[in-house]
Amino acid sequence: MRIIVLAERINYLLGCEMKLVFYNDFIPGVVSGDNIVDISEIVNGIPHIGPGDLMSRLIQNFDQYRSSIESAEKSNSGVPITSVRLRAPVPKPGKILCMAGNYLENGTLKEPRPINAFLKNRDAVIGDGDTIILPPAPVTIFHHEAEAGLVFGKRASKIKAAEAYEYVFGYVNVIDVSARGLGPEGGDGFFMGKSWHTFAPIGPYLVTADEVKDPQDLHIKLSVNGSIRQEYSTSDMGHKIPETIEWATSIATFNPGDVLFLGTNHQGLGALQDGDEVEMGIEGLGTIRLNVNENLKRKWDTGVDRSVADRIAGR
Amino acid sequence: MKLTFFNDYQLGLVEDDSIIDLMPLVGNINAPTSQDLINGVISEFNTRYRSLFLKASATEIKIPLSQVQLRAPLPRPGKIVAMAANYMENGALKEPRPINAFFKSPESVIGNGDTVILPPNLATIFHHEAELGLVIGETAKDVQPEEAYKHIFGYINFVDVSARGLNIPSFYWGKSWDTFGPMGPYLVTADEIPDPQNINVNLWVNGDIRQTYNTNDMGHKIPRIIEWASSIARLEAGDIIICGTNHQGLGALQDGDKLEMETDGLGILSVLVQDDSKREWPRGVDTEMADRVAGR
Repeated sequence: MRIIVLAERINYLLGCEMKLVFYNDFIPGVVSGDNIVDISEIVNGIPHIGPGDLMSRLIQNFDQYRSSIESAEKSNSGVPITSVRLRAPVPKPGKILCMAGNYLENGTLKEPRPINAFLKNRDAVIGDGDTIILPPAPVTIFHHEAEAGLVFGKRASKIKAAEAYEYVFGYVNVIDVSARGLGPEGGDGFFMGKSWHTFAPIGPYLVTADEVKDPQDLHIKLSVNGSIRQEYSTSDMGHKIPETIEWATSIATFNPGDVLFLGTNHQGLGALQDGDEVEMGIEGLGTIRLNVNENLKRKWDTGVDRSVADRIAGR
Repeated sequence: MKLTFFNDYQLGLVEDDSIIDLMPLVGNINAPTSQDLINGVISEFNTRYRSLFLKASATEIKIPLSQVQLRAPLPRPGKIVAMAANYMENGALKEPRPINAFFKSPESVIGNGDTVILPPNLATIFHHEAELGLVIGETAKDVQPEEAYKHIFGYINFVDVSARGLNIPSFYWGKSWDTFGPMGPYLVTADEIPDPQNINVNLWVNGDIRQTYNTNDMGHKIPRIIEWASSIARLEAGDIIICGTNHQGLGALQDGDKLEMETDGLGILSVLVQDDSKREWPRGVDTEMADRVAGR
């Protein structure tokens, strides 16, 4: 234990801790304890048309800016996080790719399902404190899927699993909000299921990879109105992170700032409905809070959706 | 007006067999990337660039097209929304299939003269799908069908290259390979295409006609597509919707093939095919696929 504490202390002194964020009117910032420090003077020289590509290019050229941002982080300046409105740290990724059915459902599946994924609407991203808007589509239910998200740091094409982590810049909390019962039966209806506006909450901040000791052993929690729904570890993942990166980049090239959602454990999914307050967090990545709005005021059972949990686990 | 990139991603205006360099006219657009540049032009086309470009066409030097390399007019679109199975298969279907779509990776885009690379994966066959592409101008969210055309900036040839026979119904796996999105040779502004719902789409492989159909066979028509897609996702300037293909006439792509696609008014897009595994499939139309999709 003392060794771990010492290692954390050394990490801190070496300046490896880094949480990047946008706040208020998309001011770029770094988290420093309970404060947030404005880094716009450091990064505003980066060519950009908006906060989305600003963050992508900061990530791409991070080595150039790291020490200045670290100095800002240690400057004892800044404002309390509680006094600002946080924004999604990657507000407009070039791509969002989501792994489908990628957990062993608390070990109930003997082996991972065939590897699969879908692209999610990159303009659906929202941040901490924002509202998920459920559309008036004839769904059977809307579900939350709490997931670990990873952000690419370098251009990545045809990457081997052994080198995969070199391409990871950092990690984020993500929720893959899902509409069920739309689209073709047995086919790929992911566009209608997953890409509604506001269906991609990400945040509250982006944590650099060096701060996450073992991404394959992260504890994920999601609660709705204070009741725990999902609670699982990334150790239950079917296709592990290096394999997913190898597979995803064998098909398409990924760029700095692109986001990979690693899939969810379906044990604990439940309905989202009007007025819900959702809280989701992964140890070390902070907590994102969201509201839910649904104008038709449809009602679903609250609590865990047992039928989807049993179906996916093959019970 | 016909816009595209050429050589080192200079923006150009195509007129007959020549191209005019527009870069001196677009220098004040904040554009870290070529896609940002064309998005900027699209966003301010009616208020600013249309008249500037028209003037340029009268005064600037014209370079013969044969002396330049054309590039994709939308090199990395923010989104590519692809309609799935959206034709009546020459009227063989009684009614359109339930509306559906998928995203194609923006990284899949290549331009005229480029090469489609077939990956050494488990696909049973690779198909060309010639499609009409709609390029979004004004941001579209929850658009009514009668307003839909106001959000279309222009049209473009697009081939939705497809890998078949993967073991799960996965659009990412089937459609999003790098180089699987040939488009071009240029982007044609909407005013040049009076009726996009009644134009011919043709595709040849090595000079043999494969696909030949009219966009009047489309299942869900363009206004409905825009209404539906924009009810789900916000569509932005430079995003593309490809309208789906008529499967009567699909065929294999294989190493050494030369693919040409022409839609009325949109020019001829020409790309090559490379398969390092040198697999071979029967040439000509895939009639099994055509019959299955038509319900025969």
